[in-house]
Amino acid sequence: MSQEMLVLLAKSLWETTYMVAVSSFISALLGIPLGIILVTTNKGHILENAPLNRILGAIVNATRSTPFIILMVAIIPVTRLLVGTSIGTNAAIVPLSIAAIPFVARIVESALKEVDYGVIEAAQAMGASPREIITKVLIPESLPAIVLGLTLTIISLIGYSAMAGAIGGGGLGDLAIRYGYQRFRADIMLITVVILIAQVQIVQSTGDYISNRLNKK
Amino acid sequence: MITLQDIEKVYQSDNGTIHALRGVNLSVKQGEIFGIIGTSGAGKSTLVRCINMLESPTKGIVTVDGQELTSLNEQELREQRKKIGMIFQHFNLLSSRTVYQNIAFPLELAKRSKEEIDKEVLHLLELVGLSDKKDQYPAQLSGGQKQRVGIARALANHPKVLLCDEATSALDPQTTKSILELLKDINRKFQLTIVLITHEMQVIKEICNQVAVIEGGKIIEQGKVIDIFTQPQSNTTKEFISSIINHNLPDFFKEITLASEPSADSNLILRLSFIGHSTEEPVISSMIRRFAIDASILYGNIDHIQTIPFGTLIVELSGEQASLQQALSYLKTRELGIEVIGYVARNARAIG
Ligand SMILES: Nc1ncnc2c1ncn2[C@@H]1O[C@H](COP(=O)(O)OP(=O)(O)O)[C@@H](O)[C@H]1O
Ligand SMILES: [Mg+2]
Repeated sequence: MSQEMLVLLAKSLWETTYMVAVSSFISALLGIPLGIILVTTNKGHILENAPLNRILGAIVNATRSTPFIILMVAIIPVTRLLVGTSIGTNAAIVPLSIAAIPFVARIVESALKEVDYGVIEAAQAMGASPREIITKVLIPESLPAIVLGLTLTIISLIGYSAMAGAIGGGGLGDLAIRYGYQRFRADIMLITVVILIAQVQIVQSTGDYISNRLNKK
Repeated sequence: MITLQDIEKVYQSDNGTIHALRGVNLSVKQGEIFGIIGTSGAGKSTLVRCINMLESPTKGIVTVDGQELTSLNEQELREQRKKIGMIFQHFNLLSSRTVYQNIAFPLELAKRSKEEIDKEVLHLLELVGLSDKKDQYPAQLSGGQKQRVGIARALANHPKVLLCDEATSALDPQTTKSILELLKDINRKFQLTIVLITHEMQVIKEICNQVAVIEGGKIIEQGKVIDIFTQPQSNTTKEFISSIINHNLPDFFKEITLASEPSADSNLILRLSFIGHSTEEPVISSMIRRFAIDASILYGNIDHIQTIPFGTLIVELSGEQASLQQALSYLKTRELGIEVIGYVARNARAIG
Protein backbone atom coordinates (compact mmCIF):
# COMPACT_ATOMS: atom_id res chain seq x y z
CA MET A 1 0.00 0.00 0.00
CA SER A 2 1.32 3.41 -0.94
CA GLN A 3 2.50 6.06 1.48
CA GLU A 4 -0.33 8.25 0.24
CA MET A 5 -2.93 5.60 1.10
CA LEU A 6 -1.52 5.19 4.61
CA VAL A 7 -1.80 8.92 5.24
CA LEU A 8 -5.36 8.84 3.99
CA LEU A 9 -6.15 5.91 6.27
CA ALA A 10 -4.64 7.63 9.28
CA LYS A 11 -6.58 10.79 8.53
CA SER A 12 -9.84 8.86 8.19
CA LEU A 13 -9.20 6.99 11.41
CA TRP A 14 -8.64 10.26 13.22
CA GLU A 15 -11.81 11.76 11.71
CA THR A 16 -13.92 8.81 12.83
CA THR A 17 -12.44 8.88 16.30
CA TYR A 18 -12.99 12.62 16.53
CA MET A 19 -16.61 12.45 15.35
CA VAL A 20 -17.43 9.59 17.67
CA ALA A 21 -15.65 11.09 20.66
CA VAL A 22 -17.23 14.53 20.37
CA SER A 23 -20.74 13.26 19.63
CA SER A 24 -20.47 10.69 22.45
CA PHE A 25 -19.46 13.46 24.82
CA ILE A 26 -22.28 15.77 23.75
CA SER A 27 -24.90 13.04 23.81
CA ALA A 28 -23.80 11.93 27.29
CA LEU A 29 -23.78 15.53 28.49
CA LEU A 30 -27.37 16.09 27.38
CA GLY A 31 -28.72 12.54 27.33
CA ILE A 32 -27.87 11.68 30.94
CA PRO A 33 -29.78 14.62 32.45
CA LEU A 34 -32.63 13.93 30.06
CA GLY A 35 -32.74 10.30 31.20
CA ILE A 36 -32.71 11.41 34.82
CA ILE A 37 -35.62 13.75 34.18
CA LEU A 38 -37.52 11.00 32.36
CA VAL A 39 -37.23 8.74 35.42
CA THR A 40 -37.72 11.20 38.24
CA THR A 41 -40.77 12.91 36.72
CA ASN A 42 -42.53 9.57 36.42
CA LYS A 43 -45.66 8.95 38.45
CA GLY A 44 -44.81 8.28 42.08
CA HIS A 45 -41.16 9.28 41.66
CA ILE A 46 -39.26 12.02 43.45
CA LEU A 47 -40.04 14.85 41.01
CA GLU A 48 -43.37 13.61 39.64
CA ASN A 49 -44.49 15.79 36.75
CA ALA A 50 -46.77 14.01 34.32
CA PRO A 51 -47.01 16.70 31.58
CA LEU A 52 -43.24 17.21 31.38
CA ASN A 53 -42.69 13.47 31.40
CA ARG A 54 -45.14 12.93 28.58
CA ILE A 55 -43.75 15.74 26.41
CA LEU A 56 -40.12 14.66 26.82
CA GLY A 57 -41.06 11.04 26.24
CA ALA A 58 -42.80 11.96 22.99
CA ILE A 59 -39.82 14.00 21.73
CA VAL A 60 -37.41 11.20 22.58
CA ASN A 61 -39.55 8.62 20.82
CA ALA A 62 -39.99 10.78 17.74
CA THR A 63 -36.23 11.27 17.40
CA ARG A 64 -35.51 7.62 18.03
CA SER A 65 -37.98 6.38 15.48
CA THR A 66 -36.61 8.56 12.68
CA PRO A 67 -34.07 6.58 10.60
CA PHE A 68 -30.63 8.14 10.99
CA ILE A 69 -30.09 8.76 7.31
CA ILE A 70 -33.35 10.75 7.15
CA LEU A 71 -32.65 12.59 10.38
CA MET A 72 -29.27 13.61 9.02
CA VAL A 73 -30.77 15.17 5.91
CA ALA A 74 -33.77 16.62 7.67
CA ILE A 75 -31.74 18.64 10.12
CA ILE A 76 -29.32 20.10 7.57
CA PRO A 77 -30.67 23.62 8.25
CA VAL A 78 -29.94 23.21 11.94
CA THR A 79 -26.46 21.90 11.14
CA ARG A 80 -25.77 24.93 8.95
CA LEU A 81 -26.96 27.22 11.71
CA LEU A 82 -24.71 25.57 14.29
CA VAL A 83 -21.47 24.95 12.38
CA GLY A 84 -21.87 27.11 9.30
CA THR A 85 -21.75 24.20 6.85
CA SER A 86 -23.48 20.91 6.26
CA ILE A 87 -20.40 19.12 4.96
CA GLY A 88 -17.41 17.76 6.87
CA THR A 89 -16.58 16.15 10.15
CA ASN A 90 -17.83 18.98 12.35
CA ALA A 91 -21.10 19.08 10.46
CA ALA A 92 -21.54 15.32 10.94
CA ILE A 93 -21.25 15.74 14.70
CA VAL A 94 -24.61 17.56 14.83
CA PRO A 95 -26.85 14.76 13.50
CA LEU A 96 -24.76 12.15 15.31
CA SER A 97 -25.31 13.92 18.65
CA ILE A 98 -28.97 14.57 18.01
CA ALA A 99 -29.56 10.93 17.19
CA ALA A 100 -27.58 9.71 20.21
CA ILE A 101 -29.08 12.02 22.87
CA PRO A 102 -32.45 10.23 23.04
CA PHE A 103 -30.66 6.90 22.81
CA VAL A 104 -28.58 7.77 25.87
CA ALA A 105 -31.66 9.17 27.61
CA ARG A 106 -33.56 5.89 27.24
CA ILE A 107 -30.55 3.86 28.32
CA VAL A 108 -30.04 6.00 31.41
CA GLU A 109 -33.76 5.84 32.08
CA SER A 110 -33.80 2.06 32.09
CA ALA A 111 -30.61 1.93 34.18
CA LEU A 112 -32.08 4.24 36.83
CA LYS A 113 -35.36 2.33 36.88
CA GLU A 114 -33.41 -0.69 38.06
CA VAL A 115 -32.54 1.09 41.30
CA ASP A 116 -34.73 -0.41 44.04
CA TYR A 117 -37.25 2.19 45.09
CA GLY A 118 -36.76 1.10 48.70
CA VAL A 119 -33.26 2.58 48.62
CA ILE A 120 -34.65 5.89 47.40
CA GLU A 121 -37.19 5.83 50.20
CA ALA A 122 -34.49 5.11 52.73
CA ALA A 123 -32.66 8.21 51.51
CA GLN A 124 -35.87 10.23 51.74
CA ALA A 125 -36.39 8.98 55.26
CA MET A 126 -32.91 10.30 56.09
CA GLY A 127 -33.90 13.73 54.82
CA ALA A 128 -32.21 13.64 51.39
CA SER A 129 -33.38 16.25 48.88
CA PRO A 130 -34.26 15.25 45.31
CA ARG A 131 -30.88 16.60 44.14
CA GLU A 132 -29.05 14.52 46.76
CA ILE A 133 -31.07 11.46 45.82
CA ILE A 134 -30.04 11.89 42.18
CA THR A 135 -26.35 12.52 42.82
CA LYS A 136 -25.81 10.25 45.82
CA VAL A 137 -28.25 7.41 45.19
CA LEU A 138 -29.59 7.10 41.65
CA ILE A 139 -26.38 7.74 39.72
CA PRO A 140 -23.90 5.82 41.90
CA GLU A 141 -26.29 2.87 42.22
CA SER A 142 -26.84 2.58 38.47
CA LEU A 143 -23.33 3.53 37.34
CA PRO A 144 -22.37 0.03 36.10
CA ALA A 145 -25.48 -0.07 33.92
CA ILE A 146 -24.93 3.51 32.72
CA VAL A 147 -21.36 2.66 31.69
CA LEU A 148 -22.60 -0.33 29.70
CA GLY A 149 -25.23 1.89 28.07
CA LEU A 150 -22.67 4.50 27.11
CA THR A 151 -20.49 1.75 25.67
CA LEU A 152 -23.39 0.70 23.51
CA THR A 153 -23.91 4.33 22.48
CA ILE A 154 -20.29 4.71 21.40
CA ILE A 155 -20.50 1.53 19.36
CA SER A 156 -23.67 2.69 17.67
CA LEU A 157 -22.01 6.03 16.96
CA ILE A 158 -19.10 4.27 15.27
CA GLY A 159 -21.62 2.66 12.94
CA TYR A 160 -23.58 5.88 12.37
CA SER A 161 -20.39 7.84 11.78
CA ALA A 162 -19.61 5.57 8.83
CA MET A 163 -23.04 6.44 7.46
CA ALA A 164 -22.50 10.14 8.08
CA GLY A 165 -19.15 9.84 6.33
CA ALA A 166 -20.83 8.49 3.24
CA ILE A 167 -22.59 11.79 2.71
CA GLY A 168 -19.58 14.01 3.14
CA GLY A 169 -18.61 13.66 6.78
CA GLY A 170 -15.22 12.11 6.23
CA GLY A 171 -13.89 9.26 8.31
CA LEU A 172 -13.50 5.56 7.67
CA GLY A 173 -16.95 5.13 6.15
CA ASP A 174 -16.21 7.80 3.62
CA LEU A 175 -12.89 6.15 2.78
CA ALA A 176 -14.48 2.73 2.34
CA ILE A 177 -17.12 4.10 0.01
CA ARG A 178 -14.87 6.34 -2.10
CA TYR A 179 -11.91 4.02 -2.47
CA GLY A 180 -13.04 0.57 -1.48
CA TYR A 181 -16.37 0.68 -3.32
CA GLN A 182 -16.17 3.29 -6.06
CA ARG A 183 -12.54 2.55 -7.08
CA PHE A 184 -12.70 -1.17 -6.48
CA ARG A 185 -9.87 -1.12 -3.88
CA ALA A 186 -10.69 -4.35 -2.04
CA ASP A 187 -7.61 -3.91 0.18
CA ILE A 188 -8.87 -0.51 1.39
CA MET A 189 -12.35 -1.93 1.97
CA LEU A 190 -10.92 -4.81 3.96
CA ILE A 191 -8.64 -2.66 6.07
CA THR A 192 -11.39 -0.16 7.00
CA VAL A 193 -13.70 -2.99 7.99
CA VAL A 194 -10.96 -4.53 10.14
CA ILE A 195 -10.27 -1.17 11.82
CA LEU A 196 -13.97 -0.62 12.50
CA ILE A 197 -14.30 -4.07 14.03
CA ALA A 198 -11.20 -3.50 16.15
CA GLN A 199 -12.58 -0.16 17.37
CA VAL A 200 -15.85 -1.76 18.40
CA GLN A 201 -14.01 -4.58 20.19
CA ILE A 202 -11.79 -2.20 22.11
CA VAL A 203 -14.69 -0.01 23.16
CA GLN A 204 -16.77 -3.01 24.23
CA SER A 205 -14.01 -4.63 26.29
CA THR A 206 -13.10 -1.35 27.95
CA GLY A 207 -16.73 -0.69 28.78
CA ASP A 208 -17.24 -4.20 30.18
CA TYR A 209 -14.11 -3.89 32.26
CA ILE A 210 -15.06 -0.53 33.80
CA SER A 211 -18.64 -1.64 34.44
CA ASN A 212 -17.44 -4.80 36.15
CA ARG A 213 -15.05 -2.88 38.34
CA LEU A 214 -17.85 -0.55 39.41
CA ASN A 215 -20.36 -3.30 40.09
CA LYS A 216 -20.43 -4.22 43.79
CA LYS A 217 -23.56 -6.35 43.67
CA MET B 1 -43.05 11.67 71.74
CA ILE B 2 -45.31 10.68 68.85
CA THR B 3 -48.99 11.40 68.47
CA LEU B 4 -51.22 10.55 65.58
CA GLN B 5 -54.64 12.20 65.52
CA ASP B 6 -57.46 10.95 63.33
CA ILE B 7 -55.15 9.80 60.57
CA GLU B 8 -56.84 8.86 57.33
CA LYS B 9 -55.03 7.67 54.24
CA VAL B 10 -56.70 7.11 50.92
CA TYR B 11 -54.75 5.81 47.93
CA GLN B 12 -56.06 6.69 44.49
CA SER B 13 -55.02 4.05 42.05
CA ASP B 14 -56.09 2.96 38.60
CA ASN B 15 -58.32 0.26 39.98
CA GLY B 16 -60.19 2.45 42.42
CA THR B 17 -59.53 4.04 45.78
CA ILE B 18 -58.09 2.19 48.74
CA HIS B 19 -58.88 3.43 52.22
CA ALA B 20 -55.67 2.25 53.91
CA LEU B 21 -56.08 4.06 57.25
CA ARG B 22 -59.47 4.89 58.74
CA GLY B 23 -59.09 7.27 61.63
CA VAL B 24 -56.04 6.13 63.55
CA ASN B 25 -55.23 7.63 66.94
CA LEU B 26 -52.02 6.67 68.67
CA SER B 27 -49.74 8.11 71.24
CA VAL B 28 -46.25 6.82 71.93
CA LYS B 29 -44.34 7.95 74.98
CA GLN B 30 -40.65 8.81 75.17
CA GLY B 31 -38.50 5.71 75.66
CA GLU B 32 -41.23 3.23 74.84
CA ILE B 33 -40.97 0.29 72.48
CA PHE B 34 -44.33 0.45 70.80
CA GLY B 35 -45.41 -2.49 68.66
CA ILE B 36 -48.01 -2.40 65.93
CA ILE B 37 -49.21 -5.78 64.76
CA GLY B 38 -51.56 -6.71 61.97
CA THR B 39 -51.97 -9.12 59.10
CA SER B 40 -50.66 -8.33 55.64
CA GLY B 41 -52.51 -5.42 54.06
CA ALA B 42 -53.87 -4.16 57.37
CA GLY B 43 -52.16 -0.80 56.86
CA LYS B 44 -49.07 -1.20 59.06
CA SER B 45 -46.53 0.12 56.59
CA THR B 46 -48.79 2.98 55.62
CA LEU B 47 -49.17 3.87 59.29
CA VAL B 48 -45.47 3.82 60.11
CA ARG B 49 -44.67 5.76 56.94
CA CYS B 50 -47.10 8.45 58.03
CA ILE B 51 -44.99 9.00 61.13
CA ASN B 52 -42.06 10.31 59.08
CA MET B 53 -44.36 11.52 56.33
CA LEU B 54 -42.93 9.28 53.63
CA GLU B 55 -46.64 8.97 53.07
CA SER B 56 -48.57 12.13 53.77
CA PRO B 57 -51.88 11.41 55.46
CA THR B 58 -55.01 12.40 53.58
CA LYS B 59 -56.37 13.75 56.87
CA GLY B 60 -55.13 14.09 60.42
CA ILE B 61 -52.24 15.46 62.42
CA VAL B 62 -48.83 13.86 62.99
CA THR B 63 -46.70 15.23 65.81
CA VAL B 64 -43.19 13.99 66.59
CA ASP B 65 -41.17 15.40 69.48
CA GLY B 66 -43.47 18.39 69.80
CA GLN B 67 -43.22 19.27 66.11
CA GLU B 68 -46.33 19.04 63.98
CA LEU B 69 -45.03 17.39 60.81
CA THR B 70 -48.26 17.67 58.87
CA SER B 71 -47.92 21.47 58.76
CA LEU B 72 -44.34 21.64 57.43
CA ASN B 73 -43.10 22.36 53.92
CA GLU B 74 -40.75 19.96 52.10
CA GLN B 75 -37.56 21.67 53.24
CA GLU B 76 -38.59 21.82 56.92
CA LEU B 77 -39.80 18.24 56.73
CA ARG B 78 -36.41 17.04 55.47
CA GLU B 79 -34.74 18.63 58.47
CA GLN B 80 -37.17 16.93 60.86
CA ARG B 81 -36.68 13.56 59.16
CA LYS B 82 -33.03 13.66 60.12
CA LYS B 83 -34.22 13.19 63.70
CA ILE B 84 -36.28 10.13 62.86
CA GLY B 85 -34.39 6.94 62.03
CA MET B 86 -35.95 4.16 60.01
CA ILE B 87 -35.07 0.55 59.23
CA PHE B 88 -36.69 -1.69 56.66
CA GLN B 89 -37.57 -5.30 55.97
CA HIS B 90 -35.25 -5.44 52.98
CA PHE B 91 -32.59 -3.22 54.59
CA ASN B 92 -32.42 -0.80 51.63
CA LEU B 93 -28.68 -0.29 51.79
CA LEU B 94 -26.75 1.37 48.99
CA SER B 95 -25.12 -1.49 47.10
CA SER B 96 -22.43 0.77 45.64
CA ARG B 97 -21.21 1.86 49.07
CA THR B 98 -19.23 -0.03 51.67
CA VAL B 99 -20.58 -0.63 55.15
CA TYR B 100 -18.61 2.40 56.35
CA GLN B 101 -19.90 4.60 53.53
CA ASN B 102 -23.47 3.44 54.07
CA ILE B 103 -23.36 4.51 57.69
CA ALA B 104 -21.67 7.76 56.68
CA PHE B 105 -24.47 8.54 54.23
CA PRO B 106 -26.92 10.27 56.61
CA LEU B 107 -24.00 12.17 58.14
CA GLU B 108 -23.03 13.45 54.70
CA LEU B 109 -26.61 14.56 54.21
CA ALA B 110 -26.38 16.42 57.50
CA LYS B 111 -23.25 18.17 56.17
CA ARG B 112 -20.96 16.94 58.91
CA SER B 113 -17.20 17.25 58.55
CA LYS B 114 -15.00 14.32 57.49
CA GLU B 115 -13.48 14.02 60.97
CA GLU B 116 -16.87 14.03 62.68
CA ILE B 117 -18.17 11.44 60.25
CA ASP B 118 -15.18 9.19 60.81
CA LYS B 119 -15.50 9.35 64.57
CA GLU B 120 -19.23 8.75 64.50
CA VAL B 121 -19.12 5.86 62.01
CA LEU B 122 -16.38 4.00 63.87
CA HIS B 123 -18.35 4.34 67.06
CA LEU B 124 -21.54 3.09 65.41
CA LEU B 125 -19.70 0.17 63.85
CA GLU B 126 -18.62 -0.84 67.29
CA LEU B 127 -22.12 -0.42 68.70
CA VAL B 128 -23.60 -2.85 66.17
CA GLY B 129 -20.59 -5.18 66.26
CA LEU B 130 -19.43 -4.78 62.67
CA SER B 131 -16.06 -3.05 63.07
CA ASP B 132 -14.32 -5.82 61.12
CA LYS B 133 -16.72 -5.47 58.18
CA LYS B 134 -16.37 -1.79 57.55
CA ASP B 135 -14.86 -2.05 54.06
CA GLN B 136 -17.16 -4.77 52.79
CA TYR B 137 -20.04 -4.18 50.43
CA PRO B 138 -23.63 -5.11 51.39
CA ALA B 139 -23.62 -7.97 48.88
CA GLN B 140 -20.96 -9.66 51.01
CA LEU B 141 -23.03 -9.55 54.21
CA SER B 142 -25.65 -11.85 55.73
CA GLY B 143 -29.18 -10.60 56.34
CA GLY B 144 -28.55 -9.99 60.02
CA GLN B 145 -25.38 -8.04 59.28
CA LYS B 146 -27.19 -5.94 56.69
CA GLN B 147 -29.84 -5.07 59.25
CA ARG B 148 -27.11 -4.08 61.71
CA VAL B 149 -25.76 -1.70 59.10
CA GLY B 150 -29.31 -0.42 58.65
CA ILE B 151 -29.59 0.18 62.37
CA ALA B 152 -26.22 1.95 62.57
CA ARG B 153 -27.21 4.13 59.63
CA ALA B 154 -30.56 4.96 61.24
CA LEU B 155 -28.85 5.97 64.49
CA ALA B 156 -26.14 8.10 62.89
CA ASN B 157 -27.85 11.44 63.42
CA HIS B 158 -28.86 10.63 67.01
CA PRO B 159 -32.57 10.38 66.28
CA LYS B 160 -35.26 10.71 68.92
CA VAL B 161 -37.35 8.03 67.29
CA LEU B 162 -36.60 4.80 65.44
CA LEU B 163 -39.20 3.37 63.08
CA CYS B 164 -38.95 -0.29 62.16
CA ASP B 165 -41.02 -1.64 59.29
CA GLU B 166 -40.96 -5.44 59.53
CA ALA B 167 -37.28 -5.15 60.39
CA THR B 168 -36.91 -8.81 61.27
CA SER B 169 -39.39 -10.37 58.85
CA ALA B 170 -36.70 -11.34 56.34
CA LEU B 171 -34.51 -12.94 59.00
CA ASP B 172 -34.36 -16.40 60.54
CA PRO B 173 -35.50 -16.82 64.18
CA GLN B 174 -31.97 -16.86 65.56
CA THR B 175 -30.95 -13.66 63.77
CA THR B 176 -34.29 -12.08 64.64
CA LYS B 177 -33.50 -12.64 68.30
CA SER B 178 -30.10 -10.99 68.03
CA ILE B 179 -31.49 -7.98 66.16
CA LEU B 180 -34.27 -7.59 68.74
CA GLU B 181 -31.64 -7.77 71.50
CA LEU B 182 -29.73 -5.00 69.78
CA LEU B 183 -32.85 -2.86 69.50
CA LYS B 184 -33.61 -3.43 73.18
CA ASP B 185 -30.04 -2.43 74.05
CA ILE B 186 -30.26 0.76 72.04
CA ASN B 187 -33.61 1.57 73.57
CA ARG B 188 -32.13 1.29 77.05
CA LYS B 189 -28.84 3.01 76.31
CA PHE B 190 -30.20 6.07 74.52
CA GLN B 191 -33.76 6.18 75.86
CA LEU B 192 -34.70 5.92 72.20
CA THR B 193 -38.38 5.66 71.36
CA ILE B 194 -39.00 2.74 69.01
CA VAL B 195 -42.06 2.07 66.88
CA LEU B 196 -42.02 -1.42 65.53
CA ILE B 197 -44.29 -2.90 62.91
CA THR B 198 -44.64 -6.64 62.60
CA HIS B 199 -46.96 -9.47 61.75
CA GLU B 200 -45.28 -11.75 64.28
CA MET B 201 -46.58 -11.82 67.84
CA GLN B 202 -43.28 -13.32 68.95
CA VAL B 203 -41.54 -10.01 68.17
CA ILE B 204 -44.07 -8.05 70.20
CA LYS B 205 -43.74 -10.47 73.09
CA GLU B 206 -39.97 -10.28 72.95
CA ILE B 207 -39.40 -6.52 73.20
CA CYS B 208 -42.47 -4.29 73.21
CA ASN B 209 -43.95 -2.47 76.19
CA GLN B 210 -47.06 -1.32 74.38
CA VAL B 211 -48.89 -2.86 71.48
CA ALA B 212 -51.61 -1.81 69.09
CA VAL B 213 -53.47 -4.25 66.88
CA ILE B 214 -54.42 -2.91 63.48
CA GLU B 215 -57.02 -4.39 61.18
CA GLY B 216 -58.56 -2.93 58.05
CA GLY B 217 -56.87 0.41 58.67
CA LYS B 218 -58.19 0.74 62.22
CA ILE B 219 -56.60 0.20 65.60
CA ILE B 220 -58.89 -2.40 67.12
CA GLU B 221 -57.11 -2.92 70.40
CA GLN B 222 -54.20 -1.39 72.26
CA GLY B 223 -52.55 -1.43 75.63
CA LYS B 224 -49.68 -2.85 77.64
CA VAL B 225 -48.32 -6.02 76.10
CA ILE B 226 -48.89 -7.99 79.29
CA ASP B 227 -52.54 -6.93 79.41
CA ILE B 228 -53.18 -7.68 75.77
CA PHE B 229 -51.60 -11.09 76.21
CA THR B 230 -53.56 -12.00 79.27
CA GLN B 231 -56.87 -10.42 78.32
CA PRO B 232 -57.16 -10.21 74.56
CA GLN B 233 -60.51 -8.79 73.50
CA SER B 234 -60.85 -9.16 69.75
CA ASN B 235 -60.70 -12.36 67.77
CA THR B 236 -57.80 -11.07 65.67
CA THR B 237 -55.77 -10.43 68.78
CA LYS B 238 -56.65 -13.83 70.19
CA GLU B 239 -55.52 -15.41 66.96
CA PHE B 240 -52.20 -13.58 67.04
CA ILE B 241 -51.64 -14.65 70.62
CA SER B 242 -52.63 -18.22 69.96
CA SER B 243 -49.83 -18.37 67.41
CA ILE B 244 -47.40 -18.34 70.32
CA ILE B 245 -49.44 -19.00 73.43
CA ASN B 246 -52.05 -21.67 73.21
CA HIS B 247 -55.27 -19.98 74.19
CA ASN B 248 -57.55 -22.56 72.66
CA LEU B 249 -59.06 -25.28 74.73
CA PRO B 250 -57.27 -28.61 74.53
CA ASP B 251 -58.77 -31.05 72.07
CA PHE B 252 -60.55 -33.30 74.51
CA PHE B 253 -62.99 -30.48 75.30
CA LYS B 254 -64.48 -30.98 71.89
CA GLU B 255 -65.97 -34.26 73.02
CA ILE B 256 -67.75 -33.06 76.12
CA THR B 257 -70.69 -30.74 76.50
CA LEU B 258 -70.13 -27.67 78.59
CA ALA B 259 -72.95 -25.93 80.38
CA SER B 260 -72.71 -22.32 81.31
CA GLU B 261 -74.74 -22.76 84.52
CA PRO B 262 -73.97 -25.14 87.38
CA SER B 263 -76.26 -28.05 88.10
CA ALA B 264 -76.42 -30.07 91.29
CA ASP B 265 -73.99 -32.62 90.07
CA SER B 266 -71.40 -30.87 87.92
CA ASN B 267 -67.71 -30.04 87.98
CA LEU B 268 -66.34 -26.59 87.35
CA ILE B 269 -63.74 -26.01 84.66
CA LEU B 270 -61.62 -22.88 84.97
CA ARG B 271 -58.78 -21.27 83.12
CA LEU B 272 -56.39 -19.53 85.47
CA SER B 273 -53.68 -17.19 84.28
CA PHE B 274 -50.84 -16.16 86.50
CA ILE B 275 -48.71 -13.13 85.89
CA GLY B 276 -45.47 -12.13 87.51
CA HIS B 277 -45.20 -12.93 91.25
CA SER B 278 -48.53 -14.70 91.42
CA THR B 279 -46.90 -17.61 89.56
CA GLU B 280 -44.92 -18.26 92.72
CA GLU B 281 -47.94 -18.36 95.00
CA PRO B 282 -49.30 -21.84 95.81
CA VAL B 283 -52.89 -20.88 95.03
CA ILE B 284 -54.17 -24.29 94.06
CA SER B 285 -52.88 -26.12 97.09
CA SER B 286 -54.13 -23.51 99.53
CA MET B 287 -57.52 -23.62 97.83
CA ILE B 288 -57.71 -27.37 98.23
CA ARG B 289 -56.75 -27.09 101.86
CA ARG B 290 -59.42 -24.49 102.58
CA PHE B 291 -62.37 -25.99 100.80
CA ALA B 292 -63.79 -29.44 100.48
CA ILE B 293 -62.96 -29.86 96.84
CA ASP B 294 -60.60 -31.68 94.55
CA ALA B 295 -58.72 -30.21 91.66
CA SER B 296 -57.20 -31.83 88.66
CA ILE B 297 -55.04 -30.07 86.16
CA LEU B 298 -56.12 -30.59 82.58
CA TYR B 299 -53.62 -28.34 80.91
CA GLY B 300 -50.69 -26.23 81.99
CA ASN B 301 -48.21 -23.93 80.35
CA ILE B 302 -45.71 -21.37 81.50
CA ASP B 303 -44.20 -18.68 79.35
CA HIS B 304 -42.38 -15.39 79.66
CA ILE B 305 -43.33 -12.02 78.30
CA GLN B 306 -39.89 -10.48 78.33
CA THR B 307 -38.87 -11.03 81.96
CA ILE B 308 -42.37 -11.50 83.33
CA PRO B 309 -43.44 -15.09 83.82
CA PHE B 310 -46.89 -15.83 82.53
CA GLY B 311 -48.64 -19.13 83.17
CA THR B 312 -51.90 -20.71 82.15
CA LEU B 313 -53.67 -23.58 83.88
CA ILE B 314 -56.91 -25.26 83.03
CA VAL B 315 -58.30 -27.00 86.09
CA GLU B 316 -61.36 -29.06 86.82
CA LEU B 317 -62.78 -28.66 90.32
CA SER B 318 -65.10 -31.21 91.84
CA GLY B 319 -67.05 -31.16 95.06
CA GLU B 320 -70.29 -29.90 96.52
CA GLN B 321 -71.72 -27.05 94.48
CA ALA B 322 -71.54 -24.68 97.46
CA SER B 323 -67.86 -25.48 98.03
CA LEU B 324 -67.13 -24.96 94.37
CA GLN B 325 -68.65 -21.49 94.48
CA GLN B 326 -66.69 -20.67 97.65
CA ALA B 327 -63.49 -21.78 95.96
CA LEU B 328 -64.31 -19.63 92.95
CA SER B 329 -64.88 -16.58 95.15
CA TYR B 330 -61.61 -17.31 96.92
CA LEU B 331 -59.72 -17.46 93.61
CA LYS B 332 -61.22 -14.15 92.60
CA THR B 333 -59.56 -12.52 95.58
CA ARG B 334 -56.13 -13.71 94.44
CA GLU B 335 -54.00 -11.93 91.90
CA LEU B 336 -54.76 -14.00 88.88
CA GLY B 337 -56.91 -14.10 85.80
CA ILE B 338 -59.96 -16.34 85.95
CA GLU B 339 -62.16 -17.47 83.16
CA VAL B 340 -65.01 -19.86 83.80
CA ILE B 341 -64.95 -22.23 80.87
CA GLY B 342 -68.09 -24.06 81.96
CA TYR B 343 -69.60 -26.91 83.92
CA VAL B 344 -69.52 -30.55 82.99
CA ALA B 345 -71.56 -33.40 84.32
CA ARG B 346 -69.48 -35.23 86.95
CA ASN B 347 -69.66 -38.53 85.13
CA ALA B 348 -68.67 -36.98 81.84
CA ARG B 349 -65.06 -37.24 82.83
CA ALA B 350 -63.28 -39.90 84.71
CA ILE B 351 -62.25 -37.81 87.66
CA GLY B 352 -63.56 -36.65 91.02
N1 LIG C 1 -48.71 3.26 47.17
C1 LIG C 1 -49.88 2.63 47.25
N2 LIG C 1 -50.83 2.81 46.31
C2 LIG C 1 -52.02 2.18 46.41
N3 LIG C 1 -52.37 1.36 47.40
C3 LIG C 1 -51.48 1.14 48.37
C4 LIG C 1 -50.18 1.76 48.35
N4 LIG C 1 -49.50 1.35 49.45
C5 LIG C 1 -50.32 0.52 50.12
N5 LIG C 1 -51.51 0.39 49.48
C6 LIG C 1 -52.67 -0.41 49.93
O1 LIG C 1 -52.98 -0.03 51.25
C7 LIG C 1 -53.31 -1.15 52.05
C8 LIG C 1 -52.38 -1.22 53.26
O2 LIG C 1 -51.07 -1.49 52.82
P1 LIG C 1 -49.81 -1.57 53.78
O3 LIG C 1 -49.82 -0.39 54.67
O4 LIG C 1 -48.62 -1.79 52.94
O5 LIG C 1 -50.15 -2.87 54.61
P2 LIG C 1 -49.21 -3.78 55.52
O6 LIG C 1 -47.90 -3.10 55.66
O7 LIG C 1 -49.97 -3.91 56.80
O8 LIG C 1 -49.12 -5.09 54.83
C9 LIG C 1 -53.22 -2.35 51.14
O9 LIG C 1 -54.51 -2.65 50.68
C10 LIG C 1 -52.34 -1.88 50.02
O10 LIG C 1 -52.67 -2.54 48.82
MG1 LIG D 1 -45.93 -3.74 55.09
